[in-house]
Amino acid sequence: MGRVKLPIGPQHPALKEPENFTITLDGERVVDVDIRIGYTHRGIEKLMESRTYTQNLYLVERICGICSYAHVENFTQNVEEILGIQIPKRAEYIRTLFLELERLHSHFLWLGVAGHEIGFDTLFMYTWQDREVVQDLLEMISGNRVNYAMNAIGGVRRDVSVEHQKKVLQGMDYLEKRAEYYKEVAINEKTILARAENVGILKTKDALKFSAVGPTARASGITVDIRKDDPYASYLDTPFDVITTNTNDVLGRVVVRVLEIFESIKIIRYLMAHLPVGEIVTKAPRKVPEGESISHTEAPRGEDFHYLRSNGTEKPERYKVRTPTLANLPALAEMLKGTYLADVPIIVAAIDPCMGCMDRVLLLKGNEKPGELVDGERLRRYSIKWFAERGWKA
Amino acid sequence: MTTTEELITEVLKGFSVQVKRERRVFLTIPRNDLIKTMNILSSELNIQHLSTITARDTGNDIEILYHFLLKGVVITIRTTCPKNDPTVDSIVSVFPSAILYERELHDILGIVPNGHPDLRRLVLPDEWVGGYPLRKDWKQPAEQEAEE
Repeated sequence: MGRVKLPIGPQHPALKEPENFTITLDGERVVDVDIRIGYTHRGIEKLMESRTYTQNLYLVERICGICSYAHVENFTQNVEEILGIQIPKRAEYIRTLFLELERLHSHFLWLGVAGHEIGFDTLFMYTWQDREVVQDLLEMISGNRVNYAMNAIGGVRRDVSVEHQKKVLQGMDYLEKRAEYYKEVAINEKTILARAENVGILKTKDALKFSAVGPTARASGITVDIRKDDPYASYLDTPFDVITTNTNDVLGRVVVRVLEIFESIKIIRYLMAHLPVGEIVTKAPRKVPEGESISHTEAPRGEDFHYLRSNGTEKPERYKVRTPTLANLPALAEMLKGTYLADVPIIVAAIDPCMGCMDRVLLLKGNEKPGELVDGERLRRYSIKWFAERGWKA
Repeated sequence: MTTTEELITEVLKGFSVQVKRERRVFLTIPRNDLIKTMNILSSELNIQHLSTITARDTGNDIEILYHFLLKGVVITIRTTCPKNDPTVDSIVSVFPSAILYERELHDILGIVPNGHPDLRRLVLPDEWVGGYPLRKDWKQPAEQEAEE
């Protein structure tokens, strides 16, 4: 049998989000991979040009459902830089708390997904249960589990009380115990070792060549972490280590993330012990003078890059977002080459892809009318019709 | 200034380098010097990480910004191309990680990176005929009557 081209996606039972991998197989070996994205493109960058900075604060948070806060942090940092605003120290600490709580829930979530992809669903059940502890803490302080709406331009919108601090620390004690267990499992459990060791190799030189980011780069021996390299929020004050491994495989990506859980817990304990007293927000004007700013943060998946160009009005001239998943795609294609088809799901999962976040922009409807744009109201009516045609109630 | 910024300024003397603030360096070049500059960044500064490429419509021109990361310092190379001739050399030969970023800009702003190996659509649908959405003169295709 010659080479076979196997299309996986955009809609496929093995995928959690719409994307397309066209895999060229020689027997069971992957010889080439073509990745097509854009199936969840929502037009956010364009939309931002017609919204005020305050409205955009909420829009940006909806780029991603996992690392929503990394996007908001970048956006507020960009606007504050052009405005020349220094936010209160206490606000910086609270923002860092949310950045790390987000990393915790994202890493716990990822560990479960990785377990699921290799048929280890017990791990999935355990980690997602533990993740609820983080979600409860986020909800306790912000009122929300996912889109926390914590940031204001100039600071944060809600304070962290003494009672909150106590509960956060209790949560950290519990999560640390659980993380100890996962560390044990990740390093010794035979199922994980068999499926992750020497799988999905990304050599250091290739990680550099394809500009990989985050845990993907760090598991290939690259010491890169925006929190250390270009400190923002309160990371300059906060002691923590950058975790790297040099095994270049899926196992390394597991180890990096598990050990990063301990670093996040360490950071959060430090923040709670050293939370400065004072205001949480500085008043900011509605109009932003002409200027430009770059902000990047170490999101759970790696460098999240934002660029803002302002024009003196209440709305941005141009806003650009580059999420870590897009940055890791060329490296992912490299990792997949030469592997077995059966290992594709775990290798893809190992970069912790987030397609919704990557695609962003434009509301597009089906393929009946090429390039047709649909507004929210029509989309709503369309969905009612779609369900009605099938005899379901929307 | 940190030592990294001093190094950058030293290597790139002869260019109009602007250190906007700590860890933010900007450099403006004519588009014909793009590959030459990329080679200097790659071979003399040993830059390996391309964060992304941003572009925007400035009216008559399109401004393109190449963002690199070197030891925590974001180095941005700024160049422009006229809207009626939106071509610029592809930097994929020097920085392979530019491949998707150039494809995205081709999709949404109509920039043609000369020498790019694969200019298929990236974010817009294959059958898209609605123009370049990120251009300022772009109009949303006419709304159709909502089907009832």
